[in-house]
Amino acid sequence: MKCLLPRLTSLLFTIFKRALLLWFVLSCNLPAVGADIPSGLTWEEALKMGERIYREGILPSGEHLQAIVQDDIPVDGTMFTCVSCHLRSGLGSVEGRVITLPANGKLLFKPLSRLPEMAGSRKKMIPGYLKSSDRRPAYTDETLAAAVRMGVDPAGRRFNAAMPKYLLSDRDMEILAFYLRNLSASPSPGVTDSTLSFATVYTEGVGSADLEAMLAPLEAYILDRTKQAGYHKLKAGSGPFAEEMDLSYRRLSLARWMLKGPPETWQSQLEDYYRQEPVFALLGGISGHAWKPVHDFCERNRIPCILPITDFPVVSDADWYTLYFSKGLYQEGEAVARYLRRIMETAGNMPVIQVYRKTAEGTSPAKGFKETWERFGLPPAEDRILNSEEPVTGDFWEGLISMHRGAIIISWLGSRDISSAEGIALSGEKPHMLFVSSSLLDKDLNTIPENIRSFTYITYPYRLPQEGRDDIYFLVKSWLKVKNIPVTNLEISSSIYFLGWVLTDALMHMKQHYYRDYFLDVIDMMRDQTHLVANYPRLSFGQGQRFASKGCYIVQLTEGQKPELIKRSDWVIH
Amino acid sequence: MKNINNGAFHLLAWSCIILFFLTGNAAGSEPKQRYTRTVEKYTVPDVTLINQNGSKIRLRSFLNSDRTVILDFIYGTCTTICPILSAGYANLQNKLGADSAKVRLVSISIDPEHDTPEVMKSYLKRYNAKSGWDFLTGSREDINAVMKAFDAYVLNKMSHYPLTLLRAPDNDRWVRIYGLISTSDFMTEYQRVFRR
Repeated sequence: MKCLLPRLTSLLFTIFKRALLLWFVLSCNLPAVGADIPSGLTWEEALKMGERIYREGILPSGEHLQAIVQDDIPVDGTMFTCVSCHLRSGLGSVEGRVITLPANGKLLFKPLSRLPEMAGSRKKMIPGYLKSSDRRPAYTDETLAAAVRMGVDPAGRRFNAAMPKYLLSDRDMEILAFYLRNLSASPSPGVTDSTLSFATVYTEGVGSADLEAMLAPLEAYILDRTKQAGYHKLKAGSGPFAEEMDLSYRRLSLARWMLKGPPETWQSQLEDYYRQEPVFALLGGISGHAWKPVHDFCERNRIPCILPITDFPVVSDADWYTLYFSKGLYQEGEAVARYLRRIMETAGNMPVIQVYRKTAEGTSPAKGFKETWERFGLPPAEDRILNSEEPVTGDFWEGLISMHRGAIIISWLGSRDISSAEGIALSGEKPHMLFVSSSLLDKDLNTIPENIRSFTYITYPYRLPQEGRDDIYFLVKSWLKVKNIPVTNLEISSSIYFLGWVLTDALMHMKQHYYRDYFLDVIDMMRDQTHLVANYPRLSFGQGQRFASKGCYIVQLTEGQKPELIKRSDWVIH
Repeated sequence: MKNINNGAFHLLAWSCIILFFLTGNAAGSEPKQRYTRTVEKYTVPDVTLINQNGSKIRLRSFLNSDRTVILDFIYGTCTTICPILSAGYANLQNKLGADSAKVRLVSISIDPEHDTPEVMKSYLKRYNAKSGWDFLTGSREDINAVMKAFDAYVLNKMSHYPLTLLRAPDNDRWVRIYGLISTSDFMTEYQRVFRR
């Protein structure tokens, strides 16, 4: 018994030590994600409530969040809230000279160092005066509350007065802290230590020339980027500061997701593809149909979809995950409404007739016009809707014009339909103005009969030839030549060329923070682009802006064999 | 060779440190001086802009008002600077009360492609803007001309900075405030301008 006692004591001591160690590990090294769900709430409820505070400035009570900014300016959640500066991902922003630091789970709850994370051997290469103490210790729930309410960080430093001091109850603070712990706390799907996976979506029925024009440059870009992986790995092995940037480098992979059959089946096809290979984001893509099924899939799964080639995007103020080049044909309808509104301010109201077929090509611009026109409170336009196969002849035009004398006709029809309008000018009766779409004429504006050009106005949502477009096309063609890619549709390839620039910029800024929301945040923060874009005069971004091209010229065509385009409006019509 | 590398590295490190203090203003540090104030003379370009109601505004005559004019440059989807400038405008209107009618607040968009009258109207609503605060947009060329005239031109909206300009009705000099300010500072500057 005397022998057993020391053994038992030793055993108990060992168990105690292990229990203590286990407690220490559990309490200190638990991942931040999921810590302390606010009492009485489920995980989802707490996240939802936290998200509402963070993104919308609305408290669980339904009241607006209140705060004081710049020491004495009261603000509420309708004006701005956390997301305004820290952005959706929580990774922060840089605007002018104001730097907003990250507030996401991964970075908030660990010390903020003045130097990037680096191995011990690399730290030896840094001079002593740079090895200062951490900028701040890791946040705790208590110090986070002090930061949010009083504007003081855990090191005792006061924030710039631009950081609001929020008036939050303990309960609301607990919910917000829970949300922040889970915000961008672990990388999004589609990311491994070596690879960032993307996919591109295209649908059956897209012509081979257009498909090749989209796929070939995109795949060439991905290949180029992947070829650089070895160089970056090598570079990451030397120099004290090379590590953060170069170790964040990932090979890119691109899967082809082809959608077959009717659009109603696309969602399930997309879900199947995604189950087989979860990707970080969708790049480019092309379809002759409405993009809605892909758009909805991306919204539901919170997957970014960057710059697909489509004339039929989803026009929404609230949706987040798909960034389009433009609103497509809808934007042309919108432009006509804006232009006519200004005309009618001086000339007075005139009857307006929209002519279109019951197809996406017809209904989409007609909807753009109608919705904008209604917002202006102008008398409704009349619709003349044709069946999809209904022919348009000279008699049709004459009948339409004699029935609506002096009216403004907006035609969302194709080039064959417009070429039959030649007789209008001869009949003695002509519309006050006739609008046609350059996109629906496939940009072949010569199909517009010469004798109707004086009263025909064309929507032109592209960079004009006289605005240096060909110089940029030359640049794109040179790049395609270097990559041995045949030019099958220069317009589409130019768009994908631009997408490559967006990707390069975005991935460089993301460093190792591979969160989908951050991917979109950095694109939102990109500079406006004018020099790399052949198809549009300007592509601009901004938080929540989901249509990069905002404008559409109204132009007229001169007569003669080599007609020129004459601008009748600014790029953006207000 | 090692010494050269070491020297170059130290030079680089010190350059970075100096640059850091000269440039960015991280949210973690309190600046000693909130804003700088200068008095300037500007020639307002004769351009026509569009306000939040879609009305055309001749800028020169609009600013040549019998009211004190306060002007800033913002955009609707700005993340940090503009919300604070606009909250400052809203609070100034509240503080001025009835005197608010003596002041013309003007915000000029530096993102005219996106800031349509509808976007601007909705923006002003979010800030509970009262009558007397106009948000103006226009063509890119005209907006550039206005930014240049007020020495506020930025090539890109993401590079913009906080700027507020004040001018009394009977004066052709503008007070130029660079930086984000509190309402008490704003009131002080307003009263200084108004008294001149």
